Amino acid sequence: MNEEVEASLLVIVLDTNPGQRLVRERTHILTQCLESVIAFANSHLMLKSTNKLAVLACHTRSTEFLFPPPSACGTQVAMLRQQDGQYELFTHVEKTIRQNLQQLVIRDARSGPIGSVCESLLAGALAMALCYIHRLEQELSAGRKMNSRILVVTGSADSASQYMSYMNVFFTAQKQNVTLDVCSLDRDMGLLQQGCDITGGLYLRIPQLQGLLQYLLWVFLPEPTIRKQLVLPPPVKVDYRAACFCHRELIDIGYVCSVCLSIFCKFSPICTTCHTVFKTPGPLPTKSKKKKIKLS
Amino acid sequence: MAEASKVIKITLQSKNLQCKNLHDYLKTLPTEILDRLYNHPTTCLAVYRELPEIAQHYVIRILFVEQPVPQAVVASWVSQAYSKEHNEVAQVLSSLRVWQEAAIPGGLPGWIMNSAFKRNMKIALLGGGKPWSMSSQLETDSKPRDIPYLDSYAMERWECVLHYMVGSQQQEGISADAVRILLHAGLMKRDEDDGSPVITREGFQFLLLDTPSQVWYFILQYLDTVESRGLDLVDCLTFLFQLSFSTMGKDYSTEGMSDGLLVFLQHLREFGLVYQRKRKAGRFYPTRLALNIASGQSRSQLDMNREGYIVVETNYRVYAYTDSNLQVALLGLFCELMYRFPNLAVGILTRDSVRQALKSGITAEQIVGFLRLHAHHRMVAVGPPVLPPTVVDQIKLWENERNRFTFSEGILYSQFLSQADFEVLRDHAQDLGVLTWQNPQRRTMVVTRSGHEEVKRFWKRYSKGAG
Amino acid sequence: MCVYSGVMAEEDEGKEYRWETGYEKTWEAIQEDDEGLLEGSVAEIIQRAKRKRQAERHGNTRLGMMRHLYVVVDNSDCMSNQDLKPTRQLCTIKLLEGFIDEFFDQNPISQIGIIITRNKRAEKISELAGNPRKHIKAVQQLTQVACSGEPSLQNALELALRSLRMLPSHASREVLIVMGSLTTCDPGDICVTMQNLKAQSVRCSVISLAAEVHVCHKLCRETGGLFGVILDDCHFRDQLFQHIDPPPAATLLDSSLIKMGFPHHMMHEGKETPLTLCMCHVDSSDVEGSRLNSGGYFCPQCCSKYCELPVECKSCGLTLVSAPHLARSYHHLFPVENFKELEFKDMQDKIELCFACQKRFGEHDKHVYECGTCSNIFCLDCDLFIHDLLHTCPGCATNHSTFQTVGNETMPPR
Repeated sequence: MNEEVEASLLVIVLDTNPGQRLVRERTHILTQCLESVIAFANSHLMLKSTNKLAVLACHTRSTEFLFPPPSACGTQVAMLRQQDGQYELFTHVEKTIRQNLQQLVIRDARSGPIGSVCESLLAGALAMALCYIHRLEQELSAGRKMNSRILVVTGSADSASQYMSYMNVFFTAQKQNVTLDVCSLDRDMGLLQQGCDITGGLYLRIPQLQGLLQYLLWVFLPEPTIRKQLVLPPPVKVDYRAACFCHRELIDIGYVCSVCLSIFCKFSPICTTCHTVFKTPGPLPTKSKKKKIKLS
Repeated sequence: MAEASKVIKITLQSKNLQCKNLHDYLKTLPTEILDRLYNHPTTCLAVYRELPEIAQHYVIRILFVEQPVPQAVVASWVSQAYSKEHNEVAQVLSSLRVWQEAAIPGGLPGWIMNSAFKRNMKIALLGGGKPWSMSSQLETDSKPRDIPYLDSYAMERWECVLHYMVGSQQQEGISADAVRILLHAGLMKRDEDDGSPVITREGFQFLLLDTPSQVWYFILQYLDTVESRGLDLVDCLTFLFQLSFSTMGKDYSTEGMSDGLLVFLQHLREFGLVYQRKRKAGRFYPTRLALNIASGQSRSQLDMNREGYIVVETNYRVYAYTDSNLQVALLGLFCELMYRFPNLAVGILTRDSVRQALKSGITAEQIVGFLRLHAHHRMVAVGPPVLPPTVVDQIKLWENERNRFTFSEGILYSQFLSQADFEVLRDHAQDLGVLTWQNPQRRTMVVTRSGHEEVKRFWKRYSKGAG
Repeated sequence: MCVYSGVMAEEDEGKEYRWETGYEKTWEAIQEDDEGLLEGSVAEIIQRAKRKRQAERHGNTRLGMMRHLYVVVDNSDCMSNQDLKPTRQLCTIKLLEGFIDEFFDQNPISQIGIIITRNKRAEKISELAGNPRKHIKAVQQLTQVACSGEPSLQNALELALRSLRMLPSHASREVLIVMGSLTTCDPGDICVTMQNLKAQSVRCSVISLAAEVHVCHKLCRETGGLFGVILDDCHFRDQLFQHIDPPPAATLLDSSLIKMGFPHHMMHEGKETPLTLCMCHVDSSDVEGSRLNSGGYFCPQCCSKYCELPVECKSCGLTLVSAPHLARSYHHLFPVENFKELEFKDMQDKIELCFACQKRFGEHDKHVYECGTCSNIFCLDCDLFIHDLLHTCPGCATNHSTFQTVGNETMPPR
């Protein structure tokens, strides 16, 4: 009786931004992704009765929870009657996600067209997911354990402008023992790849969209605890080299501002980030000692 | 000379209550029943949930594959270090008839999934097929029952059964049917004198189980008797699994249920697995006892609907914050009760009280398990360990105390005519390593049962040679 | 030899004696909750203090990011005192382990060294270095060291100063002293040592396990450090862990550009790479560490191999880091602005759910918190979580008009 029953929480962050390249080219792709993600989510719930699920949609203007519905609306399940042989919990999941996404899209469309094609703010969605996970973990009663993970399904490209948020999210996830998995539908994403590497998650860029559900089920359904038993795609070696702030090029050796840690590829007298004035380079550490004494 | 051999035979394996899990139970069923069961999505779901984790992933991976999959391919899904697990899992899937061996064109051995299982898994996961039998449309209930009400109802009904078993005062009678099941399960037996049912040692062990395990054990025993009542086992099981996947606080319709199932429903109602306002209400509410019924033991930790109430101190005192006579009576099985207050009972674990319990067939592990299961949340918060280790160890020591004898079967050789004869035979037995005991003064020796034949043959030869 | 004892009359700290100055009436702050328990209100006091500390943090002040910290641990007789459980020494060791882990987590390019003082002497048990495991091992071995004699504050400080003096001018220098004793046994005038420390802009902080001692207090005041006396083990932890956030840069601290190497992980696909020994394990005696392997990080300047980052190259002295290591420190420089505390009663009609965690506000939430930038409302737990750990406001980060903040014009991945 000592065996511990562990709950497992899966938070799926689904990129529903119509600005994604894939979606712009063929709109029905979003529907297909949604179908696959719902089936995948239900498979997760099917594994164990203790498994929990949350789904977030990262949309143009905002990020919202599609599932679970806010706590007071628990009556919906009771109202629901089976239409077919599907397990009614699964029907509930499917209906809620579709309904909430629909409302989100309509609300978004009402508030007018967004100017240019804009990036998906995945880092923010991840931050919300972490807050949600944090809350559920706090609510656990004593002596219980919960494994949490996040899966990002996205067709967007990396965006450097969110670099800092991404990094904060990755380190928080690492600290909270939350595994971050990423399923990229379109392009390779270096930043999220780093996140997977930092948190010990899997990164997969799927070669063809038709098989999305199969890829999800094969690679991302197994819990991190059981992954070592299964043969899964090997972790990609991630390039952690820094890019300089001035030319955004990858560098091997660079100069770092001692005040704000900005990275530069060449010596410059003023830091462009924090506007600190630097001393001219040259004095080796040992020589600077003399100057110190003079100052005092 | 007279060679007297006596067989000493004492069996002292204490009979422990064996609680089968779902898979063990299904494996005992004939294959055609199993196949019929797989025709319902609920059974497939229930079986799937209880599969080992790797097996679950195997199933999901080949769920959408129509042809047989080569066994070598399946084996390659698991990293080499875990091939032992793979073999076990493959064995489980075969024995449950989830998949069968099938040859692949080209002669390679392969696995193919049971087609009924596959079809119904897909229905459960993705939809399609017919709605489950109890999901007919219903008018909204004018007086819907909420979850706390259902919980208290279920516990009250279930405790009724337990009360009956301990024979405590505040019992309501339970139906003759329920009594028959208790007798059938061996949890109670007819008293030899007046024929009234009394609790057996298995019964005591049963009482100390957690509620979900009790329910599952009880249901298994009930299912054994189902056929003799003229009910269809498959129908009953399917209905049970449907209940186990239903939603708390939601009402379901009895429309279209066969007469047999309606009888079954009434039985479930008596034990508190479902709530019905009236027998002919046309609707029923499943309770927490019925949810996830097949998960048995592992479920207990998940939805502990009751607060723990027991505090155990290092000085062997046990405080139980409860007003239920049943819970106090259960504690009384192995505690010496000291005080009783309206909401608190205080007892102390003593050597005598624990030995009393051990004598009645309860094991130390069950006592410790019971205390741990119902530990007050304050104790859980401080833990692990939840219970003071000294107390746990002591209870186990008290049990070991009773097991100071080890019994081994043996044959007694005695009444040797001369000391020389005795010594020859003794030395021979000693050389063979089968001598258990000897007493040269009284010329007696004991050899193990397995050594008996050999020693006897030698003796025959020896006495013939000597004579 | 002069011995400073516990309480000394204070001349230069104002007219009042310490025990006369603004007494904190802590008992008045404590209130029983509905069940007559105190715990809740104590927790509230702690949370209040946390929020207060957060409020004191400002963005964009110059911080000493490349920290060089000596932790001085008193190992004198009085550390075997049992007022902390099980003893002061063991409690300190336990907390230090956590501190070191957390310190390197938050300050990946910083270094720590550990000094113990007992029997009127000071002894360095671990050199200034950036490897948490080594330090933790050293600290754990302290359990075998018997507490004896008197500590020497001056000897310990001089020892720390000797190696801090050698550091380049842009490095921030700190000493953190965990003091159990009320006395110190010094060979000379400690005031001279204090002046030296001040001249070298070494920031000294003291955590006293017993009581306020004048010399310690003065040391902290002179060098710009923090002084604290612990109340119990929880408060001890709190006091210790506040040193994890980088302190404001000393005025004398130079700013400069530091040359750093960003090695990439070498794993040649398909090609057979020879097994080599990395520089970090080449001279280590323990067997489990010294492994031959083919992958590793190579110093871009001299091509020495290392198995983990960050590290200072042993042959050419270049600091080797990876980009995320630097990123881990960014949140100190660009912290999330403090949220506004609002009465929940006033907001009841407008808001139902916490923006981040979807918690439904109810009876228990006396206050809710509003982000000044994106105007989203958060619950108390999220407020703390965001400021303590996440360092990103989920509201701002999911909104196109607000997610661009300072320092975000950082770098593209490729």
